[in-house]
Amino acid sequence: MRPTIAAPALALAVACAACDNTITSSEALPPLQAASLDSTAGSWSMIVLSGPTQFTVAAPAAETSAAYTTELAAIKTVQSNLSAAQHRSVDYWSGGGVLRWNQIVRELVARFNLPPAPRADGTYPVPDPENPFADPQFPFANPPYAARAYSYVAVAQYEALKTAWYWKYQYHRRSPARIDGGIRALRPVSDLPAYPSEDAVLSGVTVEMLKVLFPAAVAEITQRAAEQRNAALWSGKAAASDIAAGLALGKAVAAVFIARSGADGMKNAVGNPAQWHALADSALARGETPWISQESPPRPPMLPNFGQLQAWLMTPAEVTTERPPAPPSTSSAEMLQELGEVRRTVDHLSGAQLAIAYKWNDGAGTYAPPGHWNDIAAEYIRDAQLSEVRAARAFALLNMAMHDAAVGCWGVKYLYFNPRPGQLDPSIKTVIGLPNFPSYPSGHSTFSASAATVLSYLFPQGAPDFAAMKEEASISRLYGGIHYRSDIERGKEHGARIGGYAVRFAQLDGAN
Amino acid sequence: MLRGSTVVPLFLVALSTGTLRAQTVDDGSLLPRRGIGTGLLYAHDSWSQYWEGSLKRGNGNIGTLTTQSVTWVAGYGVTDRLSVMAMLPYVRTHASEGPLHGMDGLQDITLAAKYQLLATPLTDRGTLRAMVVGVAGIPVSNYTPDFQPLSIGLASRRFSGRFTLNFQAHQGWFLNGSAAYTWRAKVTLDRPAYYTNGQLYLSDEVAMPDVFDYTVTAGYERGRLCVPVSLSQQRTLGGGDIRRQDMPFVSNRMDFVKVGALAMYSLPGPKALGIRIGASRIVSGRNVGQATTLTAGLFHTFQL
Repeated sequence: MRPTIAAPALALAVACAACDNTITSSEALPPLQAASLDSTAGSWSMIVLSGPTQFTVAAPAAETSAAYTTELAAIKTVQSNLSAAQHRSVDYWSGGGVLRWNQIVRELVARFNLPPAPRADGTYPVPDPENPFADPQFPFANPPYAARAYSYVAVAQYEALKTAWYWKYQYHRRSPARIDGGIRALRPVSDLPAYPSEDAVLSGVTVEMLKVLFPAAVAEITQRAAEQRNAALWSGKAAASDIAAGLALGKAVAAVFIARSGADGMKNAVGNPAQWHALADSALARGETPWISQESPPRPPMLPNFGQLQAWLMTPAEVTTERPPAPPSTSSAEMLQELGEVRRTVDHLSGAQLAIAYKWNDGAGTYAPPGHWNDIAAEYIRDAQLSEVRAARAFALLNMAMHDAAVGCWGVKYLYFNPRPGQLDPSIKTVIGLPNFPSYPSGHSTFSASAATVLSYLFPQGAPDFAAMKEEASISRLYGGIHYRSDIERGKEHGARIGGYAVRFAQLDGAN
Repeated sequence: MLRGSTVVPLFLVALSTGTLRAQTVDDGSLLPRRGIGTGLLYAHDSWSQYWEGSLKRGNGNIGTLTTQSVTWVAGYGVTDRLSVMAMLPYVRTHASEGPLHGMDGLQDITLAAKYQLLATPLTDRGTLRAMVVGVAGIPVSNYTPDFQPLSIGLASRRFSGRFTLNFQAHQGWFLNGSAAYTWRAKVTLDRPAYYTNGQLYLSDEVAMPDVFDYTVTAGYERGRLCVPVSLSQQRTLGGGDIRRQDMPFVSNRMDFVKVGALAMYSLPGPKALGIRIGASRIVSGRNVGQATTLTAGLFHTFQL
């Protein structure tokens, strides 16, 4: 090759070699080998259930019984002929059922976190749980809906697993791979009693909760849950009767939470046009400029009655007591000054500030702010090698706090019905999507402070990181051009107080 | 990028010794040895309708999306058979409606080498040429690709292999066909997870599907004027659709068919200056805006 060609040809070859398309997951899950069996988890405090004996799990057949021997033989048969796909299933679920389901719920939230498209006449249809496959799909998994969904799955799983642990240590039946040398342990098998199977408990409780929360995904959810149960059997971890008992227990516990979810106030959260108008009228009566949707066509406010939902760890009186004070008046000099700060900030963003705004955007089409904190928590839970029941506790505490943060924050948002910066000053443009609900206080700040409070209690070594992430997530909303500084400051304080309820529960729950 | 093109058109003009020719990565012409062409190109690209997947719609929260760019272009004839080219655009975006902030900045530098494999008389009517072109695109600033359609680009390094056949008739007609395959490197977002194409990815890295494109150009060149018209198509070989009422995403499957026309004129006078104006319109697409693009450029060529 002549030198004149060689140089550009070489440059192009280098450029092409740079076209690497391999994606690295930040959340690969190695096979779970729990640091502790947590054998006392059956006595840890319940949140909704009366106790571990609210549901009775009948005694299993003896390990020496003919029925059980037949079950063991069946495992040997299936293990002798496992396909590559079955091995992949075993490997996938060996990462831990609680962590896997948390990933799946994040995916469901991201899939369903899309607002309805406007009709030709400029109105918006409301997602209908009775017709989830229509356009718009049900649900619109916006931040409050997502916070609630994560929390229902997490708390139901946690209560079901505590119950399972109780019965496991009543019966002490070993796992098939421990009983029969002819059965291989295709994933780590511990001394944890196998009856009822924790994988099947998780499968049963989660599938039933998700059918209610994401009914349009029923086919996929059902298939995943069945795969989890099969993986437990194929791996030598549980026998058919372990799985049957676990599945029944999981479904029974789910029924309690499904009943609660039907009566927690979510049905009324969307509200109606009369209520929406009353919110604006109330602000006007107080001499304030009411929030107006900046979308085109104008969209009804997001879940104005979500603040009336039943909290997990706070009484209605506590929800009210913990509220932050009123924001600066929309006509005050203080508000004018804050408005100026938003405008100056968003028009002069550094590259680093812009990156922070995008990092914490968590807008439509994402797993939402509570999902972001589940993402953060998952890596700590994985690295700490928590048992399934302790992992469920961590997600339950985290997601109860964020659900209650959503309830608290939304209550305040619609109490004051404060306009976004771009409404008061249309020259303010945003570098992330503008949320379609009132400004004060910042949801991100409230979620993040509640989450950081809980995670700092659970993983004290991570506390400085959680605090830094909370600060970054909160200030990202100022960089994004969608919140005033007082929204952020009061939101953080509010969130930290709400997170304290989960910490105080955890301090006394018997798990320490 | 709802602007509709991942491979920004490359226009260089070689105006040596009275011959007027727009030298682009996909045409069949070269700069003479030690010839230099340089210039500035302004482009105004706008759309108010776009394809959300295959659904064509407008969006009151965007209104009309306008992208303006000023691109510096340069070319050099290494030999009579090998030209190298470079271009660097400064891009500014703006939405006429809604709350979203426009973006601006230097986008990607494009470097290309065009090599003539063949130039042979065909019948008595003209000359047939065959070219191979290697094109590399490299982002030069750390702009975000995660604010589509306001982002100024896709922030992906890429490499294209292109093959061009050109027939130039003695009477001034010419016909040009060019096709390219583009490999694109993954892009990195500022966030730790994203959902696209039916899946949540727990990663800040996004795989970018490859792209195939072709352009057919026919034109007439006489004296100082050259007027080509073109039809081009881009097919992205993978990637997800924009979901209902979702924002577009960097790795979406962006397809389009575009028609365009140019007029290039070599100015009289001692300086080898050329001007060109152009217009193009996307006639069908998927996950792109239905853009109308107007361009104007001024170019200067000389011999070292």
